[in-house]
Amino acid sequence: MKTLLIDDERLARNELRRLLAKRSDITIVGEAANADEARVRIAELGPELLFLDIQMPGDDGFALLESLESPLPQVIFTTAYDEFAVKAFEFNALDYLMKPVDPVRLTAALDKLQRQPEHSSGAPAPAERPSRLAPDDKVFVREGERCWFVELKSIRLMESEGNYTRVHFGDVQPQLFRSLNAMEERLDPRSFFRANRRQIINLAWIDRIEPWFSGGLLVYLKGGLKVELSRRQAQAFREQMSL
Amino acid sequence: MDSVSANSVPVAEIGLRQQAKERLYVICQMGGWGFWFVLGVVISLLFSKSEDHRDPVSVVTVVMVMPTLGLLLTHYTRPLISRWGWKQLGWRLLVPRVLASSGVLSFLWSLLQYGIIYGVMRMPWTAKVSPLVVFTLTWIQGTTLFVGWFCVYFFYHLFDRYNRSEIERLWLASSVKEAELRALKSQINPHFIFNSLNSLRALIDENPDRARQAVTQLANILRYSLQSGQLETVPFEDELQTVNDYLALEQVRHEERLRVRLEIGPGTLGLPIPPMLLQTLVENAVKYGIAPRPDGGEIAITARCEHDELHLQVTNPGSLAAGGGSTGVGLRNAAERLRLLFGARATLDLREDPPGRVIAEVLVPFDQESEAAVRDSAGPGSLHDSGGKVGRTEEKAALYA
Repeated sequence: MKTLLIDDERLARNELRRLLAKRSDITIVGEAANADEARVRIAELGPELLFLDIQMPGDDGFALLESLESPLPQVIFTTAYDEFAVKAFEFNALDYLMKPVDPVRLTAALDKLQRQPEHSSGAPAPAERPSRLAPDDKVFVREGERCWFVELKSIRLMESEGNYTRVHFGDVQPQLFRSLNAMEERLDPRSFFRANRRQIINLAWIDRIEPWFSGGLLVYLKGGLKVELSRRQAQAFREQMSL
Repeated sequence: MDSVSANSVPVAEIGLRQQAKERLYVICQMGGWGFWFVLGVVISLLFSKSEDHRDPVSVVTVVMVMPTLGLLLTHYTRPLISRWGWKQLGWRLLVPRVLASSGVLSFLWSLLQYGIIYGVMRMPWTAKVSPLVVFTLTWIQGTTLFVGWFCVYFFYHLFDRYNRSEIERLWLASSVKEAELRALKSQINPHFIFNSLNSLRALIDENPDRARQAVTQLANILRYSLQSGQLETVPFEDELQTVNDYLALEQVRHEERLRVRLEIGPGTLGLPIPPMLLQTLVENAVKYGIAPRPDGGEIAITARCEHDELHLQVTNPGSLAAGGGSTGVGLRNAAERLRLLFGARATLDLREDPPGRVIAEVLVPFDQESEAAVRDSAGPGSLHDSGGKVGRTEEKAALYA
């Protein structure tokens, strides 16, 4: 597994390197001392796994993740002592290690990593990276003190808010650091449908559909959200659904 | 600018206290003299002889003259008590002053009273004894009255002062407790401890000598932060020693990103400062000045002794506007503790000068006695082993410089 170490302290990176040396399944392809360096290395090397320090000069670990294009590499956070971060992790399956790293915990974290499905193994280099995201792909969202690695298939609705997109999943609706148009380009049209200028719905979450004014449609999503489709969009929707 | 001045904290509180005091003063004056007036009316009505044929209006007027004069005289005496500093006097000095001024006040009081009643109002003289005897008796009576007034006044201030010093004492005690707690919990930033331990793990392979040294330094810092919480002040030297250890460990972590410059003036090492004061400033400097900067920067610590004051300055790159999530709680606590320990002359000030450079400056006044006291107490029971202390720290300072 191609792995990139991101930490502002040289000694901390060395320590991780030493701990990981025993693992034959981990190949360390590079190191980065801050978010800017990390972005360059990730684009260059296409790592499948990041060891990511949260507190770094400049952008912190969360900000780095927010700025990365999906699909994201798998991530194991490392932190020295960070109530904020630990709180953030309580809400999702993100794994994190406390520094100094306990070798037993490290092994557990590595064993827990999802093995990449065969067909997509070998990290996709940026050029050949699939332009469309799969339902299992995750996006990283953060709001205030909470953050999530959320699978696209669990997102019911995306709403445009200027340069941001509000994503509805579970019982939360945090903002994503992307415009709705940018998201639409990456989404699979077989799973997601542009209902109107402001909203994209996940077809898998449709509960029922009712006719609406002047040839439009009203779509009820599971979980109680309602979305209006204009006549033109309703037409497109019917065509897609009838296939 | 997020300036924290040590003596600026409870301005609103002082205002409220002053208002409450004024209200109490008015109530006491009105109540006391009003009671005297009512008593006077009752007595003169009960004991007036029927053959006097005095009309009630003039009875009330005559009776009113006495408390009104008393009220006015004491009211104008009050600012003089403050101006002459009587509130600060001991009772040996206070008693003769109170007796003398009561006599003077009473003389004036009697004089004005008779002047008004017999001179202005032209009441008939009905007494069977000579005016001189009556005047003397009135004078003596008035003197006891004013002594009573002074007693109430000074008793109030005595209790007030006692309460206030009690409150100050509790404040100090609680802030020391809080400092202890902070030392245990977060005064030494846990982030720093765990990051240091992490670097240390890597260092064990890479540079065993430096690793051994780092263990000692970390132990020193932990011991100091745990033990110094119980002390009100420590010699500057002890604090500086800890700061040196702390910076050495931060240099292990940040390597060439952290540069340190020390300028320790002569005569500063023995001066008393609150424990963890410099450490808090230096930790802030690393947290907001070095850690967020990919290229790091320089932290400068200067200490000099000037006009019976210890000047400490910690300088780091950065700007106050950026803040970086600082709550300023650490600095405000430090400022409050300084004020309680050293009074209003001690200040803690944070400013940006020139833009891009943040200076934290502390001024701690000292007098020769307290300096000597701290020197004594710092002797054998000092927090650090004291073999050639001064020499060692200055040597170290030279190394950093």
